[in-house]
Amino acid sequence: MSDADRRSRILKLAAGAAFLAIAVVLVLIVVATSGSGDGGDTKLEGVSEVNRRLAGIPQHGMVLGDPKAPVEVLEFADLQCPYCKAFTENELAPIIENQVKKGEAKIAFHNFIVIGEQSLPAGAAALAAGAQGRGWNFVELFYANQGSENSGYANDEFLEAIAKGAGVQNLAKWNQERQKFTAEVEATSAEAQQLGFTGTPSLAIKGTQTEGLKSLETPSTGDLEAAIEEAG
Amino acid sequence: MSFPAEGVLQRAIAFFAAIGIGVATYIAVEAAGGDAPTCLANSHGCATVAKSSYSHVAGVNIAVFGIFGYVALLASAFFASDLARFGGFLVALGGFGYSVFLTYIELFKIEAICQWCVASAVLMTILFLLNATRLIGYAGNAEALPDRA
Repeated sequence: MSDADRRSRILKLAAGAAFLAIAVVLVLIVVATSGSGDGGDTKLEGVSEVNRRLAGIPQHGMVLGDPKAPVEVLEFADLQCPYCKAFTENELAPIIENQVKKGEAKIAFHNFIVIGEQSLPAGAAALAAGAQGRGWNFVELFYANQGSENSGYANDEFLEAIAKGAGVQNLAKWNQERQKFTAEVEATSAEAQQLGFTGTPSLAIKGTQTEGLKSLETPSTGDLEAAIEEAG
Repeated sequence: MSFPAEGVLQRAIAFFAAIGIGVATYIAVEAAGGDAPTCLANSHGCATVAKSSYSHVAGVNIAVFGIFGYVALLASAFFASDLARFGGFLVALGGFGYSVFLTYIELFKIEAICQWCVASAVLMTILFLLNATRLIGYAGNAEALPDRA
């Protein structure tokens, strides 16, 4: 094959690859964009599972568990954060099932906004649900129906569906109150930064055997179990 | 149409690929330690992007793929053959295409900008242009030493 033939063949292959690359990028963008509506549907997943899992566990504000429990675990999370969803469903669930239900520990949910501006009204809506004793139902149901970050799915319709599914009794009151909780969401986000946290979920613990708050970052179930035993 | 000497293009590719290795390695090391790259001007964009689901493909941080890509581009700069020219072009094309996609995601989906990701996207764009110029200008040329064009 002559140099000219080889050159022609290479350039044709390169042009083909370039067209293929353009097509792949366009397909990726279309797929990513078409996912923007997920979660916007008010048909919720996991309503009965979440409410059954949390049934019988005391809730005060955003604190889950016996208020007299000797150990308090503080979770700083963003409702839009997929890692927070995975952490709650995989690592935190066994802790809730065992140490929280036994009264050995309680878990306080704190908003730490890192994903984007849509996390702020979502976090405030969770706090308003917490004011009616359904904060953790709201959080877990939100995670069960979480969509793509900042895709617009966490709109008022979605938040109201979550509140309804979480069992918030007085929806009118919840709707009136959620705006005022945005200041608290901003305050806990600032607190998380002051504690040195840079991502979500980040955890801290305090108990009868700890001096002040002890940072745990993002522990596994085993690490968290051990930290609760040590702190209590 | 005249092209820069192939040796000049090769040196430029090596230079920008080496910077790219540094940028991608920094992002990957920070991610491996559970942190996000530090954004300038106290911006939270880097943390937002690093924590988004788009920062990983098949459980692997995309910065790791970036390191492999930049290393391959650096390697391609040391050979004056059609394999190196075409291979370098393909890697740079893939990196550039994926950078376009990620930049779109940052702007319109995550709504946050990570300065380190932008730096990598700019480097990939430059490397794509250099490799495309090299391929168009020198494809089919006989094997040559790096400094002979």
